[in-house]
Formats: sequence, structure tokens, C-alpha cells
Amino acid sequence: MSATPRLSVRNIRKSFGAHEVLRGISLDAHDGDVISVLGASGSGKSTFLRCINLLETADDGDIVVNGEEITMKTTSHGRSAASRKQLDRIRTNLGMVFQSFNLWSHMTILENIIEGPVHVQKRPRAECVAEAEALLEKVGIADRKDYYPAHLSGGQKQRAAIARSLAMKPKVILFDEPTSALDPELVGEVLRVMRDLAAEKMTMLVVTHEMGFARNVSNRVIFMREGQIDCDGTPQDMFGGKGSPYFQQFIRHMETENDAA
Amino acid sequence: MEIFTLLGFGEKGWGVLILTGMALTLCVTLASLAIGAVIGAIIAAAKLSNRWWARALGTAYTTIFRGVPELLIIYLIYFGGSSAVTAIGQAMGIQGFLGMPSFLAGALAVGLISAAYQAEVYRGAYRAIPKGEIEAASSIGMPPMRCLRRIILPQILRFAIPGLNNVWQLSLKDSALISVTGLAELMRTTQVAAGSTRQYFMFYIVGGLLYLVLTSFSERVFNSAERRSNKSMPRGMGQV
Amino acid sequence: MDFPFLLSTMKALLAATPTTLGLFSLSIFFGGLLALLIVTMRVSNNIVARNFAKGYIFVFRGSPLLIQMFLVFYGLGQFGVIRHSFVWPALREPFVCAVLSLALCTGGYSAEIFRSGLRAVPPGEVEAARAAGMSGFLLLRRIIAPIAFRHALPAYSTEIVLMVKSTALASLVTVWEITGVAQRLISQTYRTMEVFMCAAALYLILNFLILQVLALIEHRLNRHDRRPAERKPSVLSAFFGSRA
Repeated sequence: MSATPRLSVRNIRKSFGAHEVLRGISLDAHDGDVISVLGASGSGKSTFLRCINLLETADDGDIVVNGEEITMKTTSHGRSAASRKQLDRIRTNLGMVFQSFNLWSHMTILENIIEGPVHVQKRPRAECVAEAEALLEKVGIADRKDYYPAHLSGGQKQRAAIARSLAMKPKVILFDEPTSALDPELVGEVLRVMRDLAAEKMTMLVVTHEMGFARNVSNRVIFMREGQIDCDGTPQDMFGGKGSPYFQQFIRHMETENDAA
Repeated sequence: MEIFTLLGFGEKGWGVLILTGMALTLCVTLASLAIGAVIGAIIAAAKLSNRWWARALGTAYTTIFRGVPELLIIYLIYFGGSSAVTAIGQAMGIQGFLGMPSFLAGALAVGLISAAYQAEVYRGAYRAIPKGEIEAASSIGMPPMRCLRRIILPQILRFAIPGLNNVWQLSLKDSALISVTGLAELMRTTQVAAGSTRQYFMFYIVGGLLYLVLTSFSERVFNSAERRSNKSMPRGMGQV
Repeated sequence: MDFPFLLSTMKALLAATPTTLGLFSLSIFFGGLLALLIVTMRVSNNIVARNFAKGYIFVFRGSPLLIQMFLVFYGLGQFGVIRHSFVWPALREPFVCAVLSLALCTGGYSAEIFRSGLRAVPPGEVEAARAAGMSGFLLLRRIIAPIAFRHALPAYSTEIVLMVKSTALASLVTVWEITGVAQRLISQTYRTMEVFMCAAALYLILNFLILQVLALIEHRLNRHDRRPAERKPSVLSAFFGSRA
């Protein structure tokens, strides 16, 4: 395992008003790690993910991407990134896949994918288009490149969104419940793409409710409870009965819910 | 201070005249709202009609009265009306030019414009009534006229309030154009005061402020009317 | 019908049409720029700028355009400071005053329209752009402005037609555009109906043409709302060129 982690998060804290959502979370993700973040709703796992690329600003703690720490400053308006330039640059190294896709509705799928590479990374357009077409081929929607997002199914939109984040050649991709907004029959096609990425040693941090993915694809499982990491370990250990009692209870609950469905 | 004398209610002051003009602006706009309500309802009915020629007439009306400058319509009614009055006068043996009363001409012109906008408001409000409610009324054997009076009209009025607020604001501002007919409403009075004292800047500022008083005050009236109508007719049990 | 009279009326009105179009296009252009400035202030975090914009919108939307125009035309010349300044040669021109007050007025209305467009931008799409490393002007230019403009366009089209009509007020500060010429013809000939018909027809044709252009722009910008099969080459692509 390489010496510098791809992503290192130290002691993140975040409150909304009087409510403390994150109570000191630390985590290292090394090259090729696929980390599943599990937890009941309200456990703070989405907020944690959004704090990593500063869509939410943590009240305390450090974020280091590929060895570079995001410098922060505190003013009367609160805490924020000290340098917008640095933040923008680091964000290009952190892909993000949203629960609700958030494709840009006024651009075609192809335009969505080349937007970042062309306008943020300033790479030659022709090269970006060729790469985008290859990515669309890879996620299985090459025939939809000239469609607008409104005309794609949820599964196709999410695969396009994954291709969009891959186009930036990120060091780490953050997935925020990528299958939660999908109809059950469309979940499989998105998970398949994510499994392929894991096989290619992409570093991924996945907030999810998909127990199958956590158990079979990830190499590490983190269970969050009340804003803290309750327990973590390999899927073999965690699902083999070595997790905390809360985690045992959580997976029992998830299984009965799946049986009911 | 000279300003207070000019704006005051004394012998040299324009206060009384300006406030009278403001009242006249309110009256002429109210009259045009009433005229527009009647004609607007007819136009809306025409546009909702099953007969193609009625729909075509309705569309032609709204296209013309929303697309042609208000000033031009005021000229049409004022000069056209005056010619008609003169012709009638000559038929009755009265010689010479007879002018159309400027209050009538102004209220009619702004009313005709307001009708085009009100027609769209009523049409939209009618469309907002759930079809099921009309079907329910006919399914219990309610005669069409009774259904119109008991079910459709009250709801149209409720849905129309926000739109009518917009039309009213528009008409208030359009009414300033009636000043070209010489009617001594707020705009005209301001103009005369500004011209005869040469205090253009001050009088136009004062006139503008008084229009702002009229528009913002009537906005409040409409907002409270909207709240009240929503209170008497809750949209669903959840809101009660 | 007296066709020679209608024809000569039409000729006189057509001669005034460039003035109407000039008033219209200049005031839409400057009013649009002003609206961008005001909406920027309206949504900014600076409390002074925000309140100034609120006040501006309240004043210019709440009072009649005619009184604003008279204030500019008659009111400004009252001050020696302005009469002796470098702007006076321009400000004593009725045409300039008319454009200035039309632009000031539509600036207030358009700012509100643009603001409602901004509010229609889905926050998730802005977040996605931030996550991709966009910020500041790039974010505004590539994501926020295009989406906001698409949402604002229908209401802005209505405002543009209202502006065509508003140019008629310039006749009251002695700019001889279509309505002013029509009024002069009416008071010379007393043939109100015929002159009105000609002028009304002219305005309706202008509106129709302008709305047609706006509808084409809207059609082009709203490709994302249509099924791919419905997309056909736009007539405008002949004018603006199509994107490769």
C-alpha cells in the first residue's frame, strides 16, 4: 500500500444550529480502496461526504487530497476555503456522483461530460470528445450521447453522471447514495458500472444502502451512528459477526426490510 | 419654505388640486375596472366557447387591445367618440364641434384595454376549476345556470384575485395616459402644476410618489382580499 | 373605403417606423444591461446594494412610465449642474430622454423577470458544477446564466412586447414615432378610424415579427424539453449558424 493516502480526512466536525451532525470523523482512503459507508438515515453519512469536497463546510477538521491539504480560513461569515483556486483544483480531483444525478439539463449527455474537461481543465475539445465517447461506451449509453437528460431513464442518467465525473480523471470518486433515487429494476445497471470501476482499482467512497455492494464489492465497510464511526473493518469481518451490536441490529433490520419488499 | 407653500393647501398651494386629481385617478381607474370586468367576462366566454367564430373574435380582441399602444386606443376613443358625438349633435341641430366627456372617454379606453387582460385572467381562473366539481354538480341534477352561479363564478373570483391585482396595477398606470384628453387626474394636475410654477422636478417627484402610494396601497388591499378568500375556502382539510 | 387616403397614411406611418424601432431596440439593449446590474445587486449579499435594488424596482414598477419620462425630459433640465455638464447636449434631445426613461423603466421590470429565472435554477445542478471545480464567473457563464435565461424567456418576451407599446409615449416628449404621427394625422383629418387602423396594423405586424423571432430563440434553447425525434433543423440556424 502506498505511503500517501489518496484521501485523508481528520477529525471532521459539523453542526447545524444546536444539532451536532458530525462528531469527529477521521478516515484514510488508499489507492484502489472501495469504502462503503453505511448507517441509518440521519446518522450523518451524506453530510460527511459533502464535507469532503466542501459542498458543506465542516466546522473543524482537515481534508487532504493526494497529499495536499485544503487550506481553510475563518472570517466573520464563518469557515471557508482560503483559496478558491486551490479548492476548484482539488475538486477536480474529487469526483462526485449525486443521488439525484444533477446532470445539467440544458446540455446534451456528451456536452455534460466534456463540460468540465474543456472549461475547467482547459483541455483540447477534440481530445475530450473522443474520451467522452469512450466513457459512454464503457457505461453502456453511447447511443444516447446527443440526448438531453430529460429523455433518459434514471439508470441511464446516473450512468451518464458517473461518466461525467470520470471524465475529469479524479483521484477519488465520492458516491452519495447513487442508487437511492432509482426504480428497483434500474439499480442493477448502475451497480454493475460501479463494480467495474472497483475492479479497475478506482478509489471510491460510497454512501449506500445496498448491502450486496458493501459485502461483495467494497474492501472496507464503515458504519456510522450518531455522527461518529461506530465500527469499521473488512466486509468479511463486519458481516461475519465482528461488527458492533448496533451494526448487527442494523443489518438485521435492513435484511427484514429487503424481505418485506 | 417655498416648497411647502407650493404643495400646501393655501391660496398659492397646489395641495387641494393634486389630491383631487389623485381621487379622480382612483375613480377613473375604478370605472375602467368595472367596464373591463363586463367586457372581459364576455370576451373570456367567447374564447372558451365551442363556436369557432366566437373564439376567433375573442382572440382578435385580445390581440388588438394587448398589442396596440394604450395611447393610440385613447386617441381612438377620444377623437373617434368626439366625431360621433358631433355627428349626433348635428343630426339634432346643434352646430359645431362637440367633445366627448374626457372622463367617459378615458374610462372607456382604459376599460377596453383592461378587458383584454381581464379576459385572460378569467379564462385562466375558469380553467383552474377542477372539472370534477362541475361534473358533480350536473350529476346531482343542478341546472346549468345554477351551477354557474353557485359553483363556477365564486371559484373564478377566488382564482382571479391575483391576476386582477396585476390588471389593476396596469390600469392605474395606464390611467396617467388619460391626461392627454385634458382630464384633470393626477398626471394632468401634476403636469399643469409643474408647468405653471416651473418646478418640474419637484412636482413630478411628488406625482410619482402619489402614484406609488396608490399602487402599494391597492396591492395591500388585494393581498388581504386574497388571504380572506383563501380562508373562507380552504383548499383541503389539511390546511384548515 | 378611401384607399388613396389609407395608402398615404400608411406611407407617413412607415416613415416613422424606424424611429419606433430605434427607440425600441436601444431601450431594450440598455434596459437589459441595467437589469443585469440591478438583479446582481438584488441577489448580492451586500445589504446596501440589495435594498437599493429593491427600492429601484419598487419605484420604477410602481409609477407610470409617463411621469418618469416627464421627470427626465423636463425635470433634469431644471438644474444648472446638469445644464452646464457634458451630458447636456445629449439630454436636451427628446429621443435620448425617451430612450433613457424607457431603459430605466424596463430595467426594473426585467430585473424582476431575471430574478425569477435565477430562482428557477435547480440548486443540485449548481452543486454538480461546484463539485466539478467551477466557481465564480465560469459557473455563472456556463451553468447558471443559460438555465436562468431559458426560464426567464417567456416572461421576458411579454416584457419586450410591452416595450414596443411603451415607445408610443415618446410622442408626448415630441419624438415623432408612429403614434405621434398618427395623432397628428388624426387631428389634421379627423379620420380617426382609418388612421387608427393603419397604425394598429403596423404595431401588430411589428409585435408579430418580434414574437416570431423570440419564439424561434425559445424553440432553439428548449431543445432539452423535446424528444430527440422532434428536433428538426431550426430556421434560425440559417442566420446564426448551427453548432457542430
